Amino acid sequence: MVFSSISFLFFFLPLLFLVYFLAPKRFKNYVLLFFSLLFYFFGEKWYVILLITSCVINYLCGIFMERFNKKAFLVIGLFINLGLLFYYKYTNFFIGTFNDIFGFGIHTLSVVLPLGISFFTFQNISYLIDVYRGDVRAQRNLFLYSTYITLFPQLVAGPIVRYKDVNEELDKRDSSYSLFSSGVVRFVTGLGKKVLIADLFYSMGTSIMKSNMSFLSYLLVAISFTFQIYYDFSGYSDMAIGLGRMFGFNFKENFNYPLIASSVTDFWRRWHISLSSFFRDYVYIPLGGNRKGIFKTIRNIFLVWLLTGLWHGASWNFVFWGLYFFVLLIIEKFFLKKYLKGGIFSYFYTFVVILVSFVIFSITDLSQLFVFLKGLFCIGVTLVNYESLYYLDIYFVLIVVSLVGISPYFKEKLENLKKGKLNKVINVCEVLWVILVFVLSVTSLISSTFNPFIYFRF
Amino acid sequence: MKDKVITFLFVGILFIVGICLFVKGDKELSFYERRKLVTIDKVKSDFFGNLDDYMSDQFPFRDEVISFNSVTQRYLFRIKDKNDVYVVEDYLIEKNYPYNEKEVMSFIDKINYINSNYLRDSNVFYSVIPDKSYFLKDGYLKLDFDRLMAQLSKDVNIQYIDIFDSFVMEDYFKTDIHLKQDSYFKVMSVFDRYLNFGYRNLTYNKNVYENFYGASVGKVGSYVDSEDIMYFSNSFIDNAIVKHLEFGKRDVYDKDKLNDVDSYNLFLSGPSSLIEIVNENSGNNKELIIFRDSFASSFVPLLIPYYNKITMIDLRYIKMDLVPNYVDFKNKDVLFLYSSLILNSSSLLKVN
Repeated sequence: MVFSSISFLFFFLPLLFLVYFLAPKRFKNYVLLFFSLLFYFFGEKWYVILLITSCVINYLCGIFMERFNKKAFLVIGLFINLGLLFYYKYTNFFIGTFNDIFGFGIHTLSVVLPLGISFFTFQNISYLIDVYRGDVRAQRNLFLYSTYITLFPQLVAGPIVRYKDVNEELDKRDSSYSLFSSGVVRFVTGLGKKVLIADLFYSMGTSIMKSNMSFLSYLLVAISFTFQIYYDFSGYSDMAIGLGRMFGFNFKENFNYPLIASSVTDFWRRWHISLSSFFRDYVYIPLGGNRKGIFKTIRNIFLVWLLTGLWHGASWNFVFWGLYFFVLLIIEKFFLKKYLKGGIFSYFYTFVVILVSFVIFSITDLSQLFVFLKGLFCIGVTLVNYESLYYLDIYFVLIVVSLVGISPYFKEKLENLKKGKLNKVINVCEVLWVILVFVLSVTSLISSTFNPFIYFRF
Repeated sequence: MKDKVITFLFVGILFIVGICLFVKGDKELSFYERRKLVTIDKVKSDFFGNLDDYMSDQFPFRDEVISFNSVTQRYLFRIKDKNDVYVVEDYLIEKNYPYNEKEVMSFIDKINYINSNYLRDSNVFYSVIPDKSYFLKDGYLKLDFDRLMAQLSKDVNIQYIDIFDSFVMEDYFKTDIHLKQDSYFKVMSVFDRYLNFGYRNLTYNKNVYENFYGASVGKVGSYVDSEDIMYFSNSFIDNAIVKHLEFGKRDVYDKDKLNDVDSYNLFLSGPSSLIEIVNENSGNNKELIIFRDSFASSFVPLLIPYYNKITMIDLRYIKMDLVPNYVDFKNKDVLFLYSSLILNSSSLLKVN
């Protein structure tokens, strides 16, 4: 089940509200656990057993780490978590690669990737390491631990919530109109970002890719990839954070206007923060970070970005995507750093390299990727053609609206105005805005299921 | 106060719409989408698999919601087409784009092949009907029609009957891709010049059905007004014997189809691989064989008075290899009559 679906909005969510807010306080976590498992079951059916098993194993590892041997049960826990992730996500990738390189005829496995496995595996790992380090005490209640892992707002697409960040809220959390309504605003904003903007960029990209391509077409498609991924993913994070607030949880921010970053280093401080901080805290720093000389620093950065690439998908383009950032970060660290201090060059450079990165991210076929990159650098294609100008005209408003949304400028202006005399007017406008975005999003969702059956007839 | 308003409004909307969805009766068929909707029975058989489809299909005021969304996309984001259909001054125009050289060349190869392998002893002609996108102005994606016609003129080894510039936008249905039947009157004399069927002014009864929605309505997802569909009859047409290879005898005008989701099927009952039309009152032995698409369905009835027999072959539904089992081409007039839509998607034609 996804948040941007009619059954989630008008069946799952109202039913959960009803049961959750009527339930006595001591049962609220059980309600959340039950509905989270139901949420997962909707999409993944019997993989819910895998999810429950994973919760039980990690819960036991946490307990056993405190009672018996910390290191042994950390290793066992990591082995099981990474083993499951490898089996479901990477086995076929590696079999395929071996077959390609060595000409083996090994059959691939018929496994379907369980939804959210990358997220809940990383949450389990962060918990085990935190318990190992003594940063948190192991959770004694299996149901509470399972509630943390399966909590539906962050279960399938993050953010990667660390146990130590929600530990207290699992035990005791407040609910108020203020928190709930801020959750609604955040959720609706995310829904709008996903449904009203990201999905249109998807249509834009696919339409243009079908046309005769010029440099401008390639550029527009690269823009559509970038904005689609940003609005889709950050929209989903907004929805997760918003839903968390409705049930009294305060998840950390996952995006901080990454598309206005002044360098790639800055970009990764702002993009998918929960993942980059996971790799920083659980891979980069334990390996020594930048404290053990240049060679080891480069090795550590390489490993982090290789893993970051692979985490995003079991495909070579994701590996290249990670390594692309590795190269850029090394160049920035040792050469470009002094030039990237926020001027026009910084922003332009960052936007261009990010644009290219999302092309690598989006095109899984390497030969197509090569053709696309050639086009994007205006090699062997015309600068503009009629079709690219047509699509620029059609999608101009969408691009402009989206550009407004990648900067905090207007949000900050609004916050300043709220402090002044216009507070009441802005509050009314905010309510109307939320309703408008929600209604438009729902109409768009319904419209996306518009499925005319017209046989080929002319 | 603001927080309470947002909270109650949001929760209220979720509950009210959710309850409405399950309380209101199910609608079984969507006229606009031309398909059956998911009903509660399917949810009962597989709750987790079908709930979302059910709730989306049975959403209160679904048609209006889709229509509203189409309009907002058109005016808010200036998205010009929906499902590849443009809305231009009440006309729904299906995009025929981009120019597909492979398909066009394949069309040329196919009709040249049929001509040289099956039609050596026949009088063969071809003609092309422009699709509605021919009339799109600048600012829309439109096929390079000049290139298309130049390619045909260069490579097709068959005599061409030029009706391409005979039509205007108003000759087409607003909500359907096809030409109105009366629009063909203006090209009858052009065809007569080549086919010599003896065109003359005949009297027709004009029949009008007032509530016609063409097939493009289902694609555009927004409300448009219905229009009239006219069909012309006289004693030749009424008494003609029409035999379909698949479903036997039918009338020229299949009036039952007027109430179908696709009322254009009024003309010769819609898609059919092979149709024989015999007019015993023609007073001559003229025969015409037409390789055609659905545009010809409304044109051919007007030819009935002039021929003893007309055979219509739609190669989308029958392989060319099989056609000689049913049709003798020797010494017959043969016309390839296709719209520019088929020329740009000719892989549909089952030749070779």
